[in-house]
Amino acid sequence: MKDNYAGPLIKVENVKKHYKDGKIKALNGASIEVEKGEVVVIIGPSGSGKSTLLRSLNLLEVPTEGNIIFEGVDITDKKVDINIHRQKMGMVFQHFNLFPHKTIIDNMTMAPIKLLKMSKEEAEKKALELLDIVNLKDRANSYPNQLSGGQKQRVAIARALCMNPDVMLFDEPTSALDPEMVGEVLNVMKDLAKKGMTMLVVTHEMGFAREVATRVIFMDEGMIIEDGTPSDIFDNPKSDRTKEFLSKII
Amino acid sequence: MLELFINKNITNSVMANILNEFYDVMISNNNWKYIVNGLKNTLILTVFACILGIALGTTVAIIRTTYDTHGKETRNTFLKFILTVLNAICKIYLTVIRGTPVVVQILIVYYVIFASSNNKLGIGILTFGINSGAYVAEIIRSGIMSIDKGQYEAGRSLGFNYIQTMIYIVAPQAFKNVLPTLANEFIVLLKETAVAGYIALEDLTKGGDIIRSLTYTAYMPLLTVAAVYLAMVMFFTWLVGKLERRLRTDER
Repeated sequence: MKDNYAGPLIKVENVKKHYKDGKIKALNGASIEVEKGEVVVIIGPSGSGKSTLLRSLNLLEVPTEGNIIFEGVDITDKKVDINIHRQKMGMVFQHFNLFPHKTIIDNMTMAPIKLLKMSKEEAEKKALELLDIVNLKDRANSYPNQLSGGQKQRVAIARALCMNPDVMLFDEPTSALDPEMVGEVLNVMKDLAKKGMTMLVVTHEMGFAREVATRVIFMDEGMIIEDGTPSDIFDNPKSDRTKEFLSKII
Repeated sequence: MLELFINKNITNSVMANILNEFYDVMISNNNWKYIVNGLKNTLILTVFACILGIALGTTVAIIRTTYDTHGKETRNTFLKFILTVLNAICKIYLTVIRGTPVVVQILIVYYVIFASSNNKLGIGILTFGINSGAYVAEIIRSGIMSIDKGQYEAGRSLGFNYIQTMIYIVAPQAFKNVLPTLANEFIVLLKETAVAGYIALEDLTKGGDIIRSLTYTAYMPLLTVAAVYLAMVMFFTWLVGKLERRLRTDER
């Protein structure tokens, strides 16, 4: 981060993502600003562009138009080395995406050792501390396939945290889990939010949104329809589309 | 009792005949040296052609998959141009090599391209290497494509660049997936080199054929050649099975 930079952590300016020469508009002009320490939950019907928006933030989806400014740097600029900035943005996926050919500890230490030039001892110490936080210290030498879904997702969160990110992006982190495992993952995320981590979460867990979020964004058809505190959105939705969506899920 | 005794005698005499014949055809006159020398050439040919094939095939596979996943999206126009050209070259290579018989290829390389050279082993390695590379390329490409896109995305999201993600995350998993197919390609190659005799390269098959023309006996040298091929194939199959089991340990 630039030392004297005082603007928002992430600034999304009129981002559009079109496929097939504009026939499919996954994102149709979305703008948001996220300050440090905010927990932003993005909700909306499927196909509304919430995952695309989240994945645009670290350029896993390259926007067709618009700018994304992260820590004062426009990362959509072609001259920017995106790999440096991605190190500061942890990402957690719906399907965990742990590396099956590596043990849990190797999954976590690989990037810090190779990219941050941490020593092996230092990286493993940090990884074990994080595994302790997610209650999986005893599984350090297991392989991902030996873990349950909830355990895998907790490792995936710890793996992202191992890089010391400034923001964590969660792309439907509990959608692929058996119901009894959702709680353990949400609890880890709650603890993370309490510690002041900036988080953007795409989820269908409305309870989590209400309890943990500092801000809720409702999206539909590639656009941001409403943006406010959880009580604004859940108790006093302004838009008819938000009302309709909420009436279907609650 | 008597019948059994006679039968045993007959069996013994058949065995003795075969052994005698083997001695006459293969051992006396030092004819076995054709087999040993041929085996040596076959192995050199196969091993080096295989190395060349894997190097070539991997390169082609990387270019093709990079083009498929990145060619249309990359933000660097120069890179985009290079990738498009390389991909076109790779496609022509795959089409031509897989669309013509290897016998024709080795004849063209020997009599047309390197007409002035008499380094048969070198020409054989080059031809079989280039030929095998086309098949290896498709094997490796399918291996890379078989890895879930999420693995690649997870690597990139941690900050690894494209090449690092390929080397640390995609390649080790892809290699494990294609190993049996790749080993099968090696075994196919081992047997395919038998056509090297077309340019009078004295490989195992040609060795057996030379003995046949020297001794006017067909079945002994040819069955010996077949047995040697079979033994090698069985050995390599066993070796690959062992390697596969070792690689599988991290799964469970």
